Amino acid sequence: MASVSIETARTETGDKRSKPSRLAPNYWPFVVPALIVIGAVIVFPWVFTLWMSVNSWTLGQAQTFAGLDNYIRLATDFRFWESLWHTLIFTVLAVVAPLFLGTLAALIFDAQFPGRGFLRGVFVMPMMATPVAIALVWTMMFHPQLGVLNYLLSLVGIGPQEWIYNRYSVIPSLVLVETWQWTPLIMLIVLGGLAALPREPYESAEIDGANAWQKFRYLTLPMIAPFLMIGVIIRSIDAIKSFDIIYAMTQGGPGTASETINIYLYNTAFSYYDIGYGSAMAVVFFVIIIALSFALMMVRARANWSDMETR
Amino acid sequence: MATVTLQNIQKRFGAVNVIQDLSVDIADGEFVVLVGPSGCGKSTLLRMVAGLEEVSGGEIRIGAREVSNLPARDRDIAMVFQNYALYPHMTVEDNMGFALKLKRANPADTAERVKKAAAILGLENLLQRYPRQLSGGQRQRVAMGRAIVRNPQVFLFDEPLSNLDAKLRVVMRSEIKAMHQRIGTTTIYVTHDQIEAMTMADKIVVLHDGNIEQVGAPLELYDRPANLFVAGFIGSPAMNFLDGKIEEGVFRTEKGLILPLPAEVSPAKAGGRPLVYGIRPEHIRASDQGIQGRAAIVEGTGSEIFAKLDCGGEQLSCLFRERIDVRFGDTVGISIDAKQVHLFDKATGHRL
Repeated sequence: MASVSIETARTETGDKRSKPSRLAPNYWPFVVPALIVIGAVIVFPWVFTLWMSVNSWTLGQAQTFAGLDNYIRLATDFRFWESLWHTLIFTVLAVVAPLFLGTLAALIFDAQFPGRGFLRGVFVMPMMATPVAIALVWTMMFHPQLGVLNYLLSLVGIGPQEWIYNRYSVIPSLVLVETWQWTPLIMLIVLGGLAALPREPYESAEIDGANAWQKFRYLTLPMIAPFLMIGVIIRSIDAIKSFDIIYAMTQGGPGTASETINIYLYNTAFSYYDIGYGSAMAVVFFVIIIALSFALMMVRARANWSDMETR
Repeated sequence: MATVTLQNIQKRFGAVNVIQDLSVDIADGEFVVLVGPSGCGKSTLLRMVAGLEEVSGGEIRIGAREVSNLPARDRDIAMVFQNYALYPHMTVEDNMGFALKLKRANPADTAERVKKAAAILGLENLLQRYPRQLSGGQRQRVAMGRAIVRNPQVFLFDEPLSNLDAKLRVVMRSEIKAMHQRIGTTTIYVTHDQIEAMTMADKIVVLHDGNIEQVGAPLELYDRPANLFVAGFIGSPAMNFLDGKIEEGVFRTEKGLILPLPAEVSPAKAGGRPLVYGIRPEHIRASDQGIQGRAAIVEGTGSEIFAKLDCGGEQLSCLFRERIDVRFGDTVGISIDAKQVHLFDKATGHRL
C-alpha cells in the first residue's frame, strides 16, 4: 500500500516539474508592485541624479547638456577638496573615539556589579534621542558665555573655550557630540560579542600562565575583532554621511571650517540651486562611500575567525 | 615530574557538599584515572588540582610545594579539556607555543619545542592550520601538544575523549597511553567511562557522591571490588547481583535459585544475614548439566554472545565467548565459576 502511494506522489510531482513555463508568467502580477516601488524610489532617483550631473542646471534657468564639465569643475574646486578633508577628519575621529570608549564601556558592563542593568539603560539613552534635539542642547552647552562646558572647565582652572565657534576646535567639538551619541551603539555591539565568547580558552590561558592584560590582549581583543569591525563599518558609513547634527549646529561654519561634502553639496544644490554641480558631487560622494564599504568588508572578512569556522 | 598529594580535600558550592574529606597520593610518573558517574565530583576535583576551582578545605601538594592557594599559572600543570579549549583565532603552532610566548621564551626555542611536540603527535603538517580546519581527533592532539610543549610537572585530562566518535576514541586512548609511556609525566585523567579507566590507568580512583569508593590497580578493582558500587561500576556488561542468604553451604536467592559458593567463604561467618551474590556475565559458562534458564534477550556481536536468562524468576546476564546456538525463548544450561563469585553484605554493601 505504502509503495503504491509513494509512486503516485512521485508521478504528480513529476508532472508539475515538467510544465514550469505554463505557471511562471502568473507570478508577474505579484512582482510588479515591488518593481514599481524599487524603480520609483531607488532606480529613478539615481538615474536622474546621474543625468543631472552631466547637465548644467540652475533652478529657474534652462537645462543644458554639459558632458563632464561638472566633474572637471569638481577636480579644481578648492572648497570641494577642503570639504573632503573635513569629511575625512570628522569620519576618522567620529569612528575611533566611540570605538575606543564603547569597547571600554562594554568591558565594564560585561562585569557583574550592582545596578548594572539600570546603568546600562541610562548609558544607551543618548542613542535614542533625535539628532536635532541633541544639536540644540549641545549648542547651548557649547555657548562660550552661558554654556555649562566652560563653567565646568572653569571649576578645574581651565579658561573658556570657543568650541564650535572656533575654526580649529569646531570639528573636534562636533566629534564630541557624535561620540556622546554613538558610543552606546558600539558598547551594545561589543557587549554582544563579549557575551558570545567561549569560556574555555580563558581557562586554558589561565593554565598557560596569562595574566588579566595578556588574556585581553591575546584572547578577548582578537576574538571580538569581528564585532569591532561591524561597529567600524556601521560608524564609518554613518559618520561619513553625517549631516543633521553638523547642519543644525554650525551649517558648516565658522566660514567653511566644518563644511563636509554632505553640507557642501546640500548648500550647492539647495542654497545656490546649482542642481547639476550638486548632483555631480552626490555621484562622487556615492562612489567614495561604495569604495569605503568594500574596503571595510574586505578588512572584516580578514578579521573574522568565527565566520571561517563554517567554511 | 612530581608527586601529587591530595589531603582531606573538601569542596562546597554554597550549602552543597560536593567533595567530603578526600585524600589520594599519586606517585611520580603515575597515570591515575578518576572515574565515577556524572556528578560524582571527579571534574571538580581535577579543576581544584588545576587551580580553576577554589578548595574549600584541605591541602593540595605538587611535589613538595603546597599549591592549594596558588593561581593556576603558578602550579606548573597542563590541562587538556573535554572540548579542547583551543584558541580559535590562532594557528596550531601558535596554540601550542602560546604558553611559552607568555613566558617570553626565546622564539627559536619555542619553535623547536613546538616542532618536537608536533612530531610526537603527528601534527607536523597541520602547524599552519586553524582549529576550525581540523577534525575532532586532530584538535584533541593539538590540545595534547599544547600540554606537552609546556613540559609541566603534571598533566591533567578532563574527559578528553568524550567528544570523539567510538572508533577515534579507541585510537586516541592508545595514543594518550603511548604518550605517557614515552614522556612519563605524572598524569591525572578524569573519565566516566570505566573502559577508558581500565585500559589506561596505573591506578584507578573510583568516586561516588564526592567520596572515594576504592583505589587500586585496574585488575584489583575488577577482581576484588570493595563494595557493591565498584562491583557494579567496573566491568561491562555490569555484574549480576542476586539477593539471598547462605543456607546449608549454598547460596539461595530470594526466589529460590541455588548458586555455588567460593571455597573460602565460611558459611558459619556469613550465614543467616541478607547478602548480595555477585557474578560477572563473562564468568558464566554454557553447560548442559547446570542451572537451566530461558533466553529473554540474545545479542550476538560475532566475538561473543550476550544473553539475558530467566532462571526461575532471577534474571542473569551472561556473556558467552564460545559460539553456542541460542535463540529467543530457548532453554540454556549454565554453570557458574565459583572462584569468580563475589559476596557483599546487603546492609552495608561491603565485600565479605
